Amino acid sequence: MSLQGWNPQINQYLSLDEVVEFAFDYRGNTTIVRRDGTEIVGYVCNRDASAAEPYLEYVDEDGDGPFALPYAEISNIRFTGKDTAAGNSWKAWLERKEREKAMAAAPGHGGERGPGPHGA
Amino acid sequence: MSVPLSQMWAVTSYVVGQKLRGNRKYPLVLMLEPLFRCNLACAGCGKIQYPGQVLKKHLTVEQCVRAVEECGAPMVAIPGGEPLMHPEIADIVAALVAKKKYVYLCTNAILLKEKLDQFTPSRYLAFSVHLDGLREEHDEAVCRDGVFDVAVEAVAEALKRGFRVTTNTTLFDGASPMRTRDFFDAMMDLGVEGMMMSPGYSYSKAPDQEHFLRRQSTQKLFHQILSNPKRRWRFNQSPLFLRFLMGKQEFECTPWGNPTYTMFGWQRPCYLLQDGYAKTFKELMETTAWEKYGRKSGNEKCQDCMVHCGFEASAVDHTFGSVRGLLQTAYVQLTGKL
Repeated sequence: MSLQGWNPQINQYLSLDEVVEFAFDYRGNTTIVRRDGTEIVGYVCNRDASAAEPYLEYVDEDGDGPFALPYAEISNIRFTGKDTAAGNSWKAWLERKEREKAMAAAPGHGGERGPGPHGA
Repeated sequence: MSVPLSQMWAVTSYVVGQKLRGNRKYPLVLMLEPLFRCNLACAGCGKIQYPGQVLKKHLTVEQCVRAVEECGAPMVAIPGGEPLMHPEIADIVAALVAKKKYVYLCTNAILLKEKLDQFTPSRYLAFSVHLDGLREEHDEAVCRDGVFDVAVEAVAEALKRGFRVTTNTTLFDGASPMRTRDFFDAMMDLGVEGMMMSPGYSYSKAPDQEHFLRRQSTQKLFHQILSNPKRRWRFNQSPLFLRFLMGKQEFECTPWGNPTYTMFGWQRPCYLLQDGYAKTFKELMETTAWEKYGRKSGNEKCQDCMVHCGFEASAVDHTFGSVRGLLQTAYVQLTGKL
């Protein structure tokens, strides 16, 4: 399951601290909404909830950073960027290999694999 | 044993020195990740899934040297990402070699042949080439056909030019013991200095979540592979770690043994888990809640882990921590029996 596209509603059931944890675990860009209404797009790469003034760190869209931002300045985090851990390229590889195997097994195709170097 | 004598001496004197100072937590191998970018997307890898702007970033030579000095470990492994994609990788390696650090540059070897001219053979530098088995198994593991052949060609070229070359192999559920033994033979025929292997860690971010080994299946697999080892096989790792993989020896994880430095800082607690980052090595060592990790802690993320970066340092520490450990290691070295 991916959090891509999630716009959390922070309330008594979901705290900002929890949303920061989800953002830290998320392998995509997020949109950090500050209390003054401005927004920062970036990758949340670290956080410290136990610091005297809890903060997160992010790499911005241009690759600059990490920059620190106190939790106290954040009102919400939206999961707006692509989840790069969704495994799509691997799924595509698997599907292609399955197709190749099916092709090789089909009548008229010599699907035998010849020996390679070192017995491969 | 395939490690050069000078390296063995450097590691031995370093570990003994730590012991004499009564230092129980010390780094053995710095895992220096200068970038996350890679030219492969392997099914079992959870290291490279980042947005584009992060993948484009990398550590500078100065940042790498500073991390190495801060840490003080005698050995530095440079994984990634693919380190040969780093524009200054040759400068990083040269700077670390000048500091007499034993550097293992971990590479998939796709770019190795074309980049070899940038490096100078040295006893301090080894290319640790990622090969997860023979052609069929390796190309499947890296999700691209033809990579095995490219890597083997590059290894042969590097050996021809006088470089130290080792292999690193990650095994997953479904690996064939017989094919793995054939792979060891093939690598010895190729002439590599030694082989390293480890079970894969169950990265939550890896695309393939179905083929990670559980603890018992890890022990069974490695027992089948190694219970009758050939004398000609050379492993570039502690023999007690191999016994641990076979279920013949118990160790607790020593995550501080292989501390990890990346563009985000010093990674807590280990190379595999990402529970946050410290600004300095000292902060990492002093403020990480180490008791929350390892099998004994009950941390579910650690229960099936038998990966080298958690336990190789434990095995080395055991060797030098008691007469029994020393005798065990000597016995395995002399008899070749694991």
